[in-house]
Amino acid sequence: MESNDLPSGIIKRNFFLHIHANRVHVHSMKPTYTFGLGIILGFLFLIMIFTGVILMIYYTPSVDMAYQSVKDIVNVVPGGRIIRNMHRWASQGMVIVVFLHLLRVFYTGSYLGKRSLNWVIGVVLLIITLLSNFSGYLLPWDQLAYWAVTIGSNIAASARELTDLLGITNAFDPGGFLKKLLIGGESVGQAALSRFFTLHVIFLPLSMLILLGIHFWRIRKDGGLSRPLKYANDKGSTNKWYAWPVLMWTELGLFVLVVLVVLFVALLADAPLLEQANPSFAENPAKSPWYFLGIQELVSYSAFAGGLLIPVLYLVFLFSIPYRDREDGYVGEWFSGKRGLKVVWRSAVFAFLLVVMQLFVIIRFGWLRDWIPGISQWFVMLINPATITGGIFILLAEVIRRKSKSTRLGALALFTSTFVALLIFTALGIWFRGPNWEFFWSLKQWPVI
Amino acid sequence: MFNMHPMRRRSFIGKAAIGLATLTGVVAAISYLRQFFPRLAGEKKRIVLDDPRRFPVDTYTFLEEHNLYVYRDHEGIKAVSAICTHLGCVLEKTIDGFECPCHGSCFNNDGEVLSGPAPRDLAWYSVSRGADGRIVINPGKSVQSDEKFLTF
Repeated sequence: MESNDLPSGIIKRNFFLHIHANRVHVHSMKPTYTFGLGIILGFLFLIMIFTGVILMIYYTPSVDMAYQSVKDIVNVVPGGRIIRNMHRWASQGMVIVVFLHLLRVFYTGSYLGKRSLNWVIGVVLLIITLLSNFSGYLLPWDQLAYWAVTIGSNIAASARELTDLLGITNAFDPGGFLKKLLIGGESVGQAALSRFFTLHVIFLPLSMLILLGIHFWRIRKDGGLSRPLKYANDKGSTNKWYAWPVLMWTELGLFVLVVLVVLFVALLADAPLLEQANPSFAENPAKSPWYFLGIQELVSYSAFAGGLLIPVLYLVFLFSIPYRDREDGYVGEWFSGKRGLKVVWRSAVFAFLLVVMQLFVIIRFGWLRDWIPGISQWFVMLINPATITGGIFILLAEVIRRKSKSTRLGALALFTSTFVALLIFTALGIWFRGPNWEFFWSLKQWPVI
Repeated sequence: MFNMHPMRRRSFIGKAAIGLATLTGVVAAISYLRQFFPRLAGEKKRIVLDDPRRFPVDTYTFLEEHNLYVYRDHEGIKAVSAICTHLGCVLEKTIDGFECPCHGSCFNNDGEVLSGPAPRDLAWYSVSRGADGRIVINPGKSVQSDEKFLTF
């Protein structure tokens, strides 16, 4: 525990000192250690709640009125456009920063030791952030929303691809079960809108608030932010600064900065709003929110493998990291020193080459079904760039772990390679996929439809 | 005679209370969770075609509100789903088949998968004459792609 040696009266009267310890370690204050990412996420969440409540006052969650009410928010409600823009851009900011935060915590080994529980809570918070974003995506009920959620709900149902192949869908249909739970029917309609609205404004924010509380509290329980072993024995006031007022002013300044940036972006760029949803005409291309385009690229190989199998394996990997790697000596050190850094950049280069090579093949020459017409769906599902990439990465990390006899190096290899692959697939989905999900070098080459 | 049952009154009441509480909890949980799974009645309604002759011959006509294509030739009429078996986007008609705008799955005119990630062929729906003499499409009943309703 960090020390609490201020007169107790100050603590009792001071909310700020309920979050922070009286004194924080000098290492925790190093901007290049945390980049303030966690606290920025907290501030963005505050902006989301604040703007979200205003939007909720004017928004109507009904298929007939949702689209018009969002139009009213943009065009009629005083300042509504700015509020909606802030809500949209802060949410996108949260997705970016939550991944940066994940990178920071992973590469500094801040899940090691007793921090494993907080890592797990963090991964849950990451999932909730993505789900909040996705559920908010449907609410304007425009074309983009409708088709993104249609695709999303069918990804949830994609276990059917497997059960169909086994011929047991009639008896055992987890895909259909999940889809029905998500959208309350066979296709996206009022039931889906109501469900997503409830998720978006009650269930997810409340879960996030509770978990955020635990997440912050655990940092204090675990002895403040992680730091290298050489500081492990700093007790009392050694190498510590007063949180009040040094840290408070830093954080207040950061808060103002975050609000300023979000406000600035909201003034410059409008959140998109397409035509009203039309269930009989799909947008072409129908793209998910950008942070899901990596998964959408995988899904374009196989719904089950790309939409369910690989993402679930990835989450299992994220959750399991602190339980498979227990080399506590690496805590608080970026990339675990020189040896780790070498593994990181080598895995990154390897992952880049492996993924780009496969993408070259699939874009230039097609894949199994183009070569052998009528090939069994088993092969389409199990042999594609998504599964090959995942398989080779796991193999590689296992080899590194055994050869180096270090679980930390194995984790570094698997985390880095999968993240690089995720980045490439996402970039491909954002910038290089056009109508009919075909490859284009730039937006200008898209055919006019 | 009273000593035949080793359970005392107090422990019986305690156990009964726990059992009752568990039962209540389970029933409440089931009924609560049941709310998330509505019955889906009438999702697949029959579609009545007033006059099949209004469809052009040798052409796939898109029925917008039902997301299916009706094909008519000189012999008869048949209907195929316009929903991609991959992730549910609405297919577009090409010269010699169907193409999905979302992930590029291609189907031929018989609805068979040619390329792309689609796991199944398209569903063909039964077309028949209803009790009142009108021609109806039944999306709840699948048929082979070469099965036609002979009208003419």
